[in-house]
Amino acid sequence: MKCRECIEHLYEYLDRELTPAVEAEIRDHLSHCPPCGTKFDFEAGFKKFVQARTRAQGCPPELKQRILRELFDE
Amino acid sequence: MATQAPTPADSSRRSAFEKEALVHLDALYRVGLRLTGNAADADDLVQETMLKAYRSWDQYQPGTNAKGWLLTILRNSFINEYRRRTRHPETVDVDTIEPFAVFQDIQEEDPQGAFFDKIVDDEVLRAIDGLPEAFRETVVLSDVEGMSYQEIGKILGIPVGTVKSRLFRARQMLQGKLYDYAVGNGYIKGRKP
Repeated sequence: MKCRECIEHLYEYLDRELTPAVEAEIRDHLSHCPPCGTKFDFEAGFKKFVQARTRAQGCPPELKQRILRELFDE
Repeated sequence: MATQAPTPADSSRRSAFEKEALVHLDALYRVGLRLTGNAADADDLVQETMLKAYRSWDQYQPGTNAKGWLLTILRNSFINEYRRRTRHPETVDVDTIEPFAVFQDIQEEDPQGAFFDKIVDDEVLRAIDGLPEAFRETVVLSDVEGMSYQEIGKILGIPVGTVKSRLFRARQMLQGKLYDYAVGNGYIKGRKP
């Protein structure tokens, strides 16, 4: 696999959208190509960062209570 | 009005709904908040979504993707009832927005993007809120909620190829916003103009 093709699949790879065979090809390319490896690491880090910064928020308990009352007339 | 005692059918419906639908309240709230942009509308949107879902619970096939089913209801409700008054529909064609390239800019100084770690939750959420709606919903469903391209395409009613290209542009734009913020706050020097 060439760098260009590898980079084209970057997000699909990080999002686990590829077949195991293509994933393996990419892993193989990354192990031999430090520039692609750096780019993949950067994007993987960014994806983790966004998730870590945005998942703390959840449904407020008062809203949950209100919904339960509405649904089940509690 | 006198409340009638629940029948066995009621309680099995209720327990199925609790087990399969109510467990996704946090996800619905997070997505609702990013779509509407304010807590009061997000509250109403999520509540309405749950009521609609419970009413049409018979249309849901047990054991299939409840989260996707609920998010589809939430997004349709948002478009039909909230979008007009909370946010203005896009006037730009998001599919023609040129991507930024933060990665190239930080090669010398911080190739791993460690500066991102200095940016707090609120700032990241603000940056997401500043994305065009089509980007915002794609990035939230993928990066925040971990949905697959196929699930996202189903929820948004767009082909998987469009999910892919929007996600690419959305992430690049989000990086660009956070990078500008980091440069502005001195977390990173950035490339000289």
